[in-house]
Amino acid sequence: MSQQKCRYRLALRRSATCMRLIRFALCLAIACGLSLAGVQAARAQGGDYFMYVGTYTGFKWVHHSRPYGRGESHSQGIYVSRFRATTGEFSEPVLAAEMINPSFLTVSPDHRFLYAVSEDPLSVGPPLDHSSYVSAFAIDSASGKLRPLNTVPASGTSTCFISMDKTGKYVMMANFGSGSVSVIRVREDGSLGELTSFIQDVGSSVDPRIQFEPHPHSIVVSPDNRYAIVSDLGLDKVLIFHFDVQTGRLSPPDPPFATVYPGGGPRHFAFDPSGRFGYQLSEMSGIVDVFAWDSSKGSLSERQRVQTVPHDFFGGNHSAEIEVHPNGKFLYESNRRTKSEEERAPDTIGVYSVDPQTGMLTPVEQSLTGGVMPRFFTIDPTGGYLLAANQISNNVVLYKIDPSTGRLSTTGREIKVDTPVCLKFVPVSH
Amino acid sequence: MRFKRCFALFAFWAALSVSPAWCAPAASGEYFVYFGTYTGFTYMLEGLPAGGSRSKGIYVSRFQPATGKVSPPELAAEMVNPAFLAVHPNQRFLYVATEDPLSRGPNFDHESYVSAFSIDPSSGRLHLLNTLPTGGTSTCYLSIDKTGRYVLMANFGSSSVTVLRIKDDGSLGEQTAFMKHVGKGKDPSFQSKAHPHSIDVSPDNHHAVVSDLGVDKVFVYRFDAATGALSPDNPPFVDADPGSGPRHFVFDGAGRFGYSLQEMSGFVSVLAWDPEKGTLTKVQDAKTLAPDFAGSSDSAEIAIHPNGKFLYESNRRFRGPNLWGPDTIGVFSIDPEKGTLIEVEQVAPGGTMPRSFAIDPTGAYLFSANQVSGNVVVFRIDGNSGRLTPTSTDLKLDVPVSIVFVPAPK
Repeated sequence: MSQQKCRYRLALRRSATCMRLIRFALCLAIACGLSLAGVQAARAQGGDYFMYVGTYTGFKWVHHSRPYGRGESHSQGIYVSRFRATTGEFSEPVLAAEMINPSFLTVSPDHRFLYAVSEDPLSVGPPLDHSSYVSAFAIDSASGKLRPLNTVPASGTSTCFISMDKTGKYVMMANFGSGSVSVIRVREDGSLGELTSFIQDVGSSVDPRIQFEPHPHSIVVSPDNRYAIVSDLGLDKVLIFHFDVQTGRLSPPDPPFATVYPGGGPRHFAFDPSGRFGYQLSEMSGIVDVFAWDSSKGSLSERQRVQTVPHDFFGGNHSAEIEVHPNGKFLYESNRRTKSEEERAPDTIGVYSVDPQTGMLTPVEQSLTGGVMPRFFTIDPTGGYLLAANQISNNVVLYKIDPSTGRLSTTGREIKVDTPVCLKFVPVSH
Repeated sequence: MRFKRCFALFAFWAALSVSPAWCAPAASGEYFVYFGTYTGFTYMLEGLPAGGSRSKGIYVSRFQPATGKVSPPELAAEMVNPAFLAVHPNQRFLYVATEDPLSRGPNFDHESYVSAFSIDPSSGRLHLLNTLPTGGTSTCYLSIDKTGRYVLMANFGSSSVTVLRIKDDGSLGEQTAFMKHVGKGKDPSFQSKAHPHSIDVSPDNHHAVVSDLGVDKVFVYRFDAATGALSPDNPPFVDADPGSGPRHFVFDGAGRFGYSLQEMSGFVSVLAWDPEKGTLTKVQDAKTLAPDFAGSSDSAEIAIHPNGKFLYESNRRFRGPNLWGPDTIGVFSIDPEKGTLIEVEQVAPGGTMPRSFAIDPTGAYLFSANQVSGNVVVFRIDGNSGRLTPTSTDLKLDVPVSIVFVPAPK
């Protein structure tokens, strides 16, 4: 029996029958034994992380809302690799939990639970998907394996994004296909409870291929946990909702919002660590909008509009992921470039320096990604490395980050995972 | 865990076995009649709200089937647009959909809610247990499965059906199923996307039937009462005529036939139900419109008499701008062998736009909820012919749109 399982049981049985007390005592004894072992392990393994890799299992990628390469992914779910931040070493990834299309992951603030969306259970693409699901897992602190707790509907389709609020009491989902966002309560034992909020976005924007209906692509809470920011690719809007941590409710509709350049397609949003600035990456235009965030009013004011696409590049940019370095000095964003419908262009990760006073960006470099189609990348929690998940070339490539310039340099290290599309870190033996 | 589950099962069994004890005396006694209303508008015209309403929520009257007397409706719970009501099988809880909290219409609605109420057995007043998002918009229909452990909802606006768990205390729990319908129908004004309009479980609780007005299909899902999950059946649906607009569906008491009312065409499709395979096979298309009527039927509600011999359906007829009516309630007799329908009569509902009606549990009266004229008219039902005769009971109530009966303990 693992320590997690024991805690799980403790959480379940907080009552006063004799039987329960006996079990409690037994459980406590085992927990003490395990946590001692855990402490020893932690000393031996300082700076180690479990790196979880979400994948598509039913197809390779989605283009114009259609899945391509159906049956060509050999992934079976969520994978875990050990990552040593001091040396940049990986272990061979192993299957942590079987699951269909676990395309986005989030980890609870206490690092005990992981939540994953099943984006498209039948791998049919957003217009034909009937239901997406979200699953809760307990993290085995020794092996990193994931133990399923429960699975509930996401209350939407083609759910492509999940995040947690700062308290770890709620998960928030963006349902790209059905055009809604939903919030689900997390119970004491880490399992998923009732739907606490559901908001259907309505409207359209200028691109008839994809913007004839709303497509929320991400939802993140503000640093103070009082607001949620929803990037809607279909509406060209960055929606701002009040978030009530007592009830899990997003404020009623008619939220204030910020707009992006028409046809841009807002995809992912990142706050800087100080909580003063917000960065909106738009998928189709490749523009990063720099906003000043007023946390008292919950408003975004445009400061700068940065085109990440080189002026001599003609083709599709397909921007994907955006992240601010933990030191707040650099911003990274990934591009999945195509010359035409048939021909790919070199993919890049754009590196920018952040002005500490104004939040504005200055380009540093465009770095290659060591693979094809970097739908996702992340910076490890120590800030020493950037890891690019290349969906088509089936590799996660490690780059060293220069702490003074933000520049990326190759390490020659990578792991092979089929169709990787999301990366999350959990410290080992916390 | 096992103890807990055991206890839950016992509590559930106890609740079920207690309820008939205080249902039984009520059969000869009184009922609470609950009326759902629109509070933010009178009706929807081409997807947009029109008119006002002075209603404030759910109303309750006392009803004596022996005399036909109905007390004036009183506010039982304040609520925005409680458009559809369903009673728990134990008769202690009421579930209500808030269809459109900001009264904007299905194309602009962002969220709908479902509320659980406990029923005060002496006053009939409703006490709120909790309110949760339905997981969809313009939720226009809800029903409870036979075990009383799930509420099933049709989200007209956002094209989905959802299922939420009902906890032992009657309050609402987690979502157990979500199914989005995709596609469109022939009529661009009403059928630009899917619009599930109703969801009901089969008599054996193994399936759920969804009428989708937008795609002209009646869907059959397998329903798993252990988990609350819906899964597509094989075949997943039966087609209705293009442009017909399936709205509400009712099973006969014996569970051999299903009746699908189509809003735009005004037809009732009679379908043979195979409970083993979960299939619906068309037996008859019964016309509810007079041959000389030129206009739209806007058929609304369908119900079968408790004796299984008669079927009723309401029509909110529309002949053009400002040309309403004549509205009717159609009465049909049911062939006991073949399930087919023969028209008995078409009766004026005593008001305008009968979006809903309900037959009282004793089968003696039919209550017609006339949305635009703001009244509920009570009809006497002839048990032999099925024919309707208006009584003098005409309750004034703004924008009534849903009616349910609950036995009132003396």
